[in-house]
Amino acid sequence: MVKKTIMCPNCKNQVTIEGDPGEKVYVTCSKCNTKGVFTFPSDKPIAKEEAGHSVIEVSNLTKKFKDLTAVDNLSFNVRKGEIYGLLGPNGAGKTTTIKSIIGLLHANTGEIKINGYDLKKEDIEARRSVGYLPERIAFYPNLTPLQTLHFFCELRGDDRSLATPLIKEVGLEDAINRKVGTFSKGMVQLLGVAQVQIGSPPVYILDEPMGGLDARWVKAIRERIISLNKQGATILFSSHILSEVENLCDRVAIINRGKLIAEDTVGNLNKYLKIKPRLEIIILGLNSKIPEVIERLKGVEAVDAKDDTLFVTCESAVRSKVITALEDAGFKIDNIKTVEPSLEEAFVRLVSKDDGGA
Amino acid sequence: MARINPKTIYTVAKKEFMDNVRNRWIIVLTIIFILLIIIFSYVGGAGSFGNMQITTLGLLIVTSLLIPLIAIILGYATIAGEAQSGALYVVLSYPVKRIEVLLGKFIGLGSVIILSIFLGFGVGGLFIAGTVGTEALSGFIGAIFLSIILGLLYLSCIMCISAFCKRRSRAIAGGIILIFWGMIYGSVIMGVLYGAGYDFNDFATGDVPEWFFNTAVFSPQDLHQVAVMRAFNIDTISMDMPGQQLEFAIPEFLNMGMILIVHLIWIIVPFLLAIYFFNKRDI
Repeated sequence: MVKKTIMCPNCKNQVTIEGDPGEKVYVTCSKCNTKGVFTFPSDKPIAKEEAGHSVIEVSNLTKKFKDLTAVDNLSFNVRKGEIYGLLGPNGAGKTTTIKSIIGLLHANTGEIKINGYDLKKEDIEARRSVGYLPERIAFYPNLTPLQTLHFFCELRGDDRSLATPLIKEVGLEDAINRKVGTFSKGMVQLLGVAQVQIGSPPVYILDEPMGGLDARWVKAIRERIISLNKQGATILFSSHILSEVENLCDRVAIINRGKLIAEDTVGNLNKYLKIKPRLEIIILGLNSKIPEVIERLKGVEAVDAKDDTLFVTCESAVRSKVITALEDAGFKIDNIKTVEPSLEEAFVRLVSKDDGGA
Repeated sequence: MARINPKTIYTVAKKEFMDNVRNRWIIVLTIIFILLIIIFSYVGGAGSFGNMQITTLGLLIVTSLLIPLIAIILGYATIAGEAQSGALYVVLSYPVKRIEVLLGKFIGLGSVIILSIFLGFGVGGLFIAGTVGTEALSGFIGAIFLSIILGLLYLSCIMCISAFCKRRSRAIAGGIILIFWGMIYGSVIMGVLYGAGYDFNDFATGDVPEWFFNTAVFSPQDLHQVAVMRAFNIDTISMDMPGQQLEFAIPEFLNMGMILIVHLIWIIVPFLLAIYFFNKRDI
């Protein structure tokens, strides 16, 4: 028997419960009477294989639409417990890849395994391990959010009592009895976020989860992704918001024209591309003029100036020379900041290179 | 291959029923249905309310159009529309089989059709029973049963079209063609008759070949009309010709057993095709 203290998603009250590993316990909050279900972590592996393995394995995936090859011999693995970002320009094949992993699209060739289950042979078990939030989500217009989540709870074989706490968690409690047909796009997306958590699956596949949402809800969803990951969930998500991918993902795959062109951590991608950090030096009275002394300095790769800020890209060994040269030339330095290269720079460079650019 | 899970079918069926029973078009058509029965009861009775047989037969052409229309409105978007909107993405990402979803949809939408028919015929029937009496009640119950079968038949056909078509607009066009086929079938088969060397006078002399009537099996609406006449123990078809009224015996081939078998084939074959298209389809 194990004891655990959990927090009520509605009133944040702490509730202590007891149960055996793997046992499903029905909980009622002593303060606000919110009902929910908690499953004690099993002492047995939930996946077919042990921890440390790849939870999503995509091997040689190809998907063609008539003459168009949307995904071309794509292979990548998502490891247990990581947040894995799928990046690519519009039409790169991100959504096609995700829909093939879920089984919505029939791949022409390739093998997909989710949580150790082969999608072709054990599709039900594979999908039982996944919570999926599509890019273009729609629900049934004549149903309320509560009826919608009841439907999905039953479809997964879970208790309907999971629905209300999830609706409250995403902040839709005021609309709980309204028809979904009257919802805004953001509200529908939030209902999708609630839906995806039904049954607490070990794997989440989120296709552009922040698409079309205002900053408030982007933040809420970002926090939700982090929280799910902290609870041990593996997350594969695609996004065109590079900063989100950069902040959230342990590893990133960049695909272009259906092919994987890079896969690594954000830091390693920049190292691989030899993208150097940038110095941002605030110089009083600079007025957007680039000092000649810096332009002539050996080892400086790029230099730019805007208002009082001088941007210098150079090897780390050259940084001190830049500062000394500026001070020797009489410039009054107010502040110095080193900015690490962003994913955006790596992304742009990789995609341009793949497209045959510089 | 894992076996079919009845719980999933029930869950999808319940959701389809809840979502579609409030469809305003279905509500409007059901109200029209009820009103038509009451109006036809009065018109058919030539100034006083007619009995159940007069009303049902008088309404036969209208109901054999109205019921397919209800089925098509309910079913045309069930795959094509939901795939286009994105609602199907979430459902099919759950641990369900596509055949379970399709069966659930058929049962759920079929239940809405059954409810609509029960309400239409039921309220109308109660009105007639209250004003005229329960004469020809067994035929009336038979007509309700046959109307349900007609509704399910068209539901199966439109679900097949919806599973095949990529877009909602194409599925509704398919549904319109389906209804149109029932409406023009009589003219088509008449053309075939003329093409086979027969002419209008053969009707008067009784030389029309039996296959002309038997080909009603290719038109669910015609088949339904024959079936309802059989339900009221009517064995002849009347035809108004210039200057004379002709009567033909309904061929023995189109007996109630055969009609029900043909109806079942019309339900099962499109449904099997719908399963095939849905399983093959990229969502």
